[in-house]
Amino acid sequence: MAVMNREFDVVVIGGGVVGCAIARELSRYRLRVAVLEKECDIGTQTSARNTGMLHAGFLYQTGSLKAQCAVEGNREFDRVAEELDVPFRRTGKLVVGFTEAHRAQLEQFMKRGESNGVPGLRLIDRAEMDRLDPTAGGNFAMYVPTSGVLNPFLYTIALAENAVHNGAELFRSCAFTGEIRLADGRHCLHTTRGDFVTRWVVNSAGLQSAMVSAWLGKPGYTIAPVKGEYFVLDKRAGAHASISVYPAPNPDNTFDTHATVTVEGNVLVGPDSQWVEELEDYATSPAGLDGLAEDGARMFAHMKREYYIRSFAGVRPKLIDPKTKKVQDFKLEAPEDIPGFINLVGIESPGLTSALPLARRVAEKIRGREELSLNETFTPYRSGPPRFSELTLERQAELIAENADYGEIICRCEQVTKAEILQAIHSPVGAATVNGVKNRTRASMGRCQGGYCQMRITQMLRQELGQSITEVSLSSRGSYLFTGAVRGGGEE
Amino acid sequence: MKSYQAVIIGGGPAGLGAAIALKKQGIQDILVVEREHHLGGILRQCIHDGFGLTRFGESLSGPEYAQRFIEEAQRLQIECRTDCTVLHLTEDKIVTLCSRAGLEVVAARAVVLAMGCRERTRGALAIAGTRSAGVMTAGVAQHYMNLRNIMVGREVVVLGSGDIGLIMARRMTLEGAKVKGVFEIQPYPSGLPRNIMQCLNDYDIPLYLSHTVTEIRGRERLSAVTISQVDEAMRVLPGTERELSCDTLILSVGLIPENELSLDAGVVLDYRTKGALVDEYYQTSVPGIFAAGNVLHVHDLVDFVTLEAEALANAVTEYVKRNTMPDCKLTVVPGEGIGHVVPQRCSGRDAFTLSLRVTRPRRDCIVTVHQGGREILRQTVKNALPAEMLQYSIPAERLNAEGDLEVALL
Amino acid sequence: MTRLFTCIICPNGCHITAEVLDDQIHKLEGALCLRGEDYVRQELTDPRRTIATSVLVEGGELPLASVRLTGSIPKGEIFPVMEEIKALHFSAPVATGQMAIQNVRGLGSDVIFTKDVRRRTEQPKEE
Repeated sequence: MAVMNREFDVVVIGGGVVGCAIARELSRYRLRVAVLEKECDIGTQTSARNTGMLHAGFLYQTGSLKAQCAVEGNREFDRVAEELDVPFRRTGKLVVGFTEAHRAQLEQFMKRGESNGVPGLRLIDRAEMDRLDPTAGGNFAMYVPTSGVLNPFLYTIALAENAVHNGAELFRSCAFTGEIRLADGRHCLHTTRGDFVTRWVVNSAGLQSAMVSAWLGKPGYTIAPVKGEYFVLDKRAGAHASISVYPAPNPDNTFDTHATVTVEGNVLVGPDSQWVEELEDYATSPAGLDGLAEDGARMFAHMKREYYIRSFAGVRPKLIDPKTKKVQDFKLEAPEDIPGFINLVGIESPGLTSALPLARRVAEKIRGREELSLNETFTPYRSGPPRFSELTLERQAELIAENADYGEIICRCEQVTKAEILQAIHSPVGAATVNGVKNRTRASMGRCQGGYCQMRITQMLRQELGQSITEVSLSSRGSYLFTGAVRGGGEE
Repeated sequence: MKSYQAVIIGGGPAGLGAAIALKKQGIQDILVVEREHHLGGILRQCIHDGFGLTRFGESLSGPEYAQRFIEEAQRLQIECRTDCTVLHLTEDKIVTLCSRAGLEVVAARAVVLAMGCRERTRGALAIAGTRSAGVMTAGVAQHYMNLRNIMVGREVVVLGSGDIGLIMARRMTLEGAKVKGVFEIQPYPSGLPRNIMQCLNDYDIPLYLSHTVTEIRGRERLSAVTISQVDEAMRVLPGTERELSCDTLILSVGLIPENELSLDAGVVLDYRTKGALVDEYYQTSVPGIFAAGNVLHVHDLVDFVTLEAEALANAVTEYVKRNTMPDCKLTVVPGEGIGHVVPQRCSGRDAFTLSLRVTRPRRDCIVTVHQGGREILRQTVKNALPAEMLQYSIPAERLNAEGDLEVALL
Repeated sequence: MTRLFTCIICPNGCHITAEVLDDQIHKLEGALCLRGEDYVRQELTDPRRTIATSVLVEGGELPLASVRLTGSIPKGEIFPVMEEIKALHFSAPVATGQMAIQNVRGLGSDVIFTKDVRRRTEQPKEE
């Protein structure tokens, strides 16, 4: 659907967690803000394909933007999670070690962490490890009390909903294709849904950030896509674990396969690291999965076939020096020679943790050039729909009495009700695909992987949105689920 | 809190069969709970015939078979609640029901587990590749085609030669799709010979044994799969990969008894069947909780499900009256050549029906049952297939009160 | 020429070999019973099958009603019979056992409904 030519103060290219955080942050001010997302839903790429960790910040070079943003984002997240009504658990983390070499590395992390302002880091012995998690291997560990786990998709959508509630606009299936500069200096952005005229353009395009940067007049950046494959394990596998346990780091300070319990209780095994060719290469590989299965089984007792739910891959958009291949810090700049342009390139881990800190820095860049007045009606609060499966019996009964759709269980593995799915479809940043419903409600994330609920979800998409049989999609455009009716036209 | 003599979870053939038999034996307060809008279970979407050959002497479709029991249940005025999901089940047989009308907690003297199965998924097999649309389990495809008038694809590859996949290969061919082949990882088919004949051979659909899908390709929609050969240990043989273009991958790679509620209630499962460990009365490890049908072990003939449900009903009637069942201290274990047995415990005093499956196809073999080293059953089988459940009546006079039983294939 | 069959009449699944010359069956070996021999004879001379499929039902609680044949038909008639069934249009209600096509293509088998589909009263009922 083409958009009439629209005028904005700020257009953000990229509807991932960072782009949505920027929109939310900017909606505090009297600015007309738009987010353009090329996919048919927000947060489907890097933002949805990660471990969901709220990092502490001990890994990153002192003084780097990564370190600053991670520590800042980590510190404030209890409040952020409450404001946006998103699931979050500050579980803490153990980085375990066996040898003296490991001990030296952990001591280095501790020093760096302390310089970065990470609170509470300490080296603990086996006895104390037993008190925190007796199943964790290792002779000693660095205990990181501030690490946590969150749901990256719900976080992204909550940011987007809050931004939209506060006046920002979101355009999905809207791919940026190039721009021209107008005489008055404003940018005229060409997209697949028409032109957007804006005073500021913010590049938050993640994997495509180097390319978008070039199109906006700042070429020369190289994004190296580094794929990571994951297994998702049954909640039963995660039932006894609470704290995240990372194995002792490799000599180059990277971590091998580890297992993380997600905020919902599943276990993620992975990611591994593969330098690939294509930016959006989300295929898992036989070798990759075999490797994860093997490594996983060695360090995690519950890495059993019967617990496999599914596997997926994400790609890290690493900004690298093309000559040395060395990975660079986050790039956040407002180039002097290109007015009205704020450039974010290479936002990989700890991007999730850093989303709001980066967003504030974007606002600062704008404030550096013009007066920003406050949006009087701004509210940081966003309320998510109640999750039936997490409520007490009393509350569940109340909900059903208020709205009978809560009494219809659509996804039995995750206990997701019809009411929640309807809300997911009809919310201001609503779902129009099966995966969109899945990411918002957890329907079809369970053991049967949609074996019971997919038929019902597709029926609801057709009914609620008037989609024809062949329009019903799994995820992105072109991912049609059906080829037509068995008999007749099929529209009843 | 309302109380029933028997709460039956699942309104398919097992649940209905048990309910009807219970009512006929004088149990009055029965509740059948079914989460779908209609009773009948999975039979509703199994429109092919072959059901009821032994039970009714006719070759009925699934819906017709189910309809016989639905009508009987109606005639007997058995309370059946549809659109009703069981949220929780406790060891004390407290059942939490959820429907549009609200939550209701009921107590039961006896609970019958009859929840059937779910299908094994692509994720459970860890098949690598993209997450394109066009990959689905056979049962889901069957539901779309037969209940919702939706065609799921045009060029089809089927992974797994289980009955559902074979049935769907035929079904899709009849509706104009091109089924390029059925690929089975084992060196023998998983489904019944009748289905290999009438679903594959009849339509010139090739069956490739010792093959599997190792990669899924395609961006938004499936465009091809990588097929590889495997050795006898089902390991991929490198260098045998070839790409086969298709827009649909149908998975028929196994059924898993749906025992989440059973685990909720503390029921112990048998890792071989993935169903409950039961005694000859179909009672699970939790007193008063019984199981029958696909949730107990995967069946290939619904007629056997009905028999099992009716045998269970005899036991439940006994339990409701006496509040206890006789001890079943003896174990029944699968030995050489046997994949699993049901029941896994027996009393040693009464006759019981032994169900089993062999681990691989064997011709002219002998099923034996020994108790404490003494042979109590010996039956020749001309053609033993893992796809066909075998059942034998173990007579009371052959049994001792002492000694565990072992079932083996010679 | 020799043709091999696996009989599907009973679980014994006898491997039966048939020697065929000039469309005549010379020898049948391997069957444990006469039913097996009959089965192979039938397969060689006039293989017959039953099929099951669906018919569009207008105004019903469900979009389709399943149907099946009451008797077997020659294998070669499967797709022609499918075409006849595909062309059917019924309005709800339909009932199990109700005739859809009598003596389809004169082959001696009826097509009957195997499912009740009631008339839809309000909005489309969810499955």
